[in-house]
Amino acid sequence: MNLMGNIILNVAIAFLVGSVLFGLQRKIMARIQMRPGPPIIQHLLHTFKFFIKESAFPKTAAMPFYIAITAMLCVIWVAAVIVGPVTEGSLLLFFAIYAIHKIVEHNAGSSSGSPYGKLSCVRAVYSAAAEVPLFAVLIIIYLKTGTMIISNIVTFQSQHGALLLSIPLAALMFFVLILSKSPYSPFAITKGKDIVSGYETEHFGLLRGYLMFSESIAWYMLLWIFLTVFIGGLNPVGYLIGMVIITAFVALINAVTPILNPNHSVMTQVTLAFIGIAGSIITLLY
Amino acid sequence: MNDQILYLVYILSFVIGSIVGLVLSYKKYTEPFVTRNIDLIALILAIIGWMLAINYPLLTMIPSYISITIGVFLIAMVIGMRPGYGRYETIIGFALAGLIWILRTVIL
Repeated sequence: MNLMGNIILNVAIAFLVGSVLFGLQRKIMARIQMRPGPPIIQHLLHTFKFFIKESAFPKTAAMPFYIAITAMLCVIWVAAVIVGPVTEGSLLLFFAIYAIHKIVEHNAGSSSGSPYGKLSCVRAVYSAAAEVPLFAVLIIIYLKTGTMIISNIVTFQSQHGALLLSIPLAALMFFVLILSKSPYSPFAITKGKDIVSGYETEHFGLLRGYLMFSESIAWYMLLWIFLTVFIGGLNPVGYLIGMVIITAFVALINAVTPILNPNHSVMTQVTLAFIGIAGSIITLLY
Repeated sequence: MNDQILYLVYILSFVIGSIVGLVLSYKKYTEPFVTRNIDLIALILAIIGWMLAINYPLLTMIPSYISITIGVFLIAMVIGMRPGYGRYETIIGFALAGLIWILRTVIL
């Protein structure tokens, strides 16, 4: 298959699996909280629904940035699929994509002109200060394996065992990052329900559809990176089982924890990042 | 690459099966899951689905990807039913298929 076909195939898989996993997460959370919960495909149906809903544009929106930002979010996570499952490229590019994702969160909120969006925009800057250090886990992987190329990291693990066992604190850091990006997470301050839907509040119809599409791919990609980098190359069924387990675990945490206020959220993440980085470096040295 | 195409087909089968199950179950059941009865049709679909998805090597005349695709579709139809419905049927179907899988791969 040619490169374009491969990209379309992987983006379709990422979107469908990511959406179903989001639905599964909501279902598990609901069952833990003694509610029936929505069907597992609810998130996917919502995404499709938004694509056929009427789009409205607030008068306060900063055009054309307000529209462009949704396309930008889409582009960066499709790029992540190309860097990841398609070409197995460099982890540094993932770091860049994640950093842009935080900028997009910030600008999606500010461009809408809504007070909820603007609060979310400020929180995106706060949380970037904590989540970008968590993504610094990649440096620890480099120190351990001597490479940033995903295919080389997979080869390293096939020879020396899973990185999950040799640098568990780094894996914990990345897991906290994954947790931060899940809906209803204690660290999900940019989309906290106290600010309605955060930076997404004023994006309706087609634009919201693009945002949800991108978020589903983002969720799939974060889980894909975790499984690939810390466990090694798996077959598709292995990836699916791994993603379901992580999503279920995240749902359990989200179901039993309240959302933290921005200061507590960021300080908890920074503390975990510090423990993870310092602990991993000490483990690598001794 | 072929693995990924099949993977996409299975996911699509699951999604379409869930939507079909959801729509049909809402037509069949107009009230929430309270009576906790077992739906015979859903039970049969769940058993056939789990059998096809897990024990596809038993059906040598059908290619494995066709068995799994149909199996996943039927499983999704039952799992995707209106909240509450299909729960017992799924567990029974999975248990039976799992039992036969154990008999087939571990004991025999």
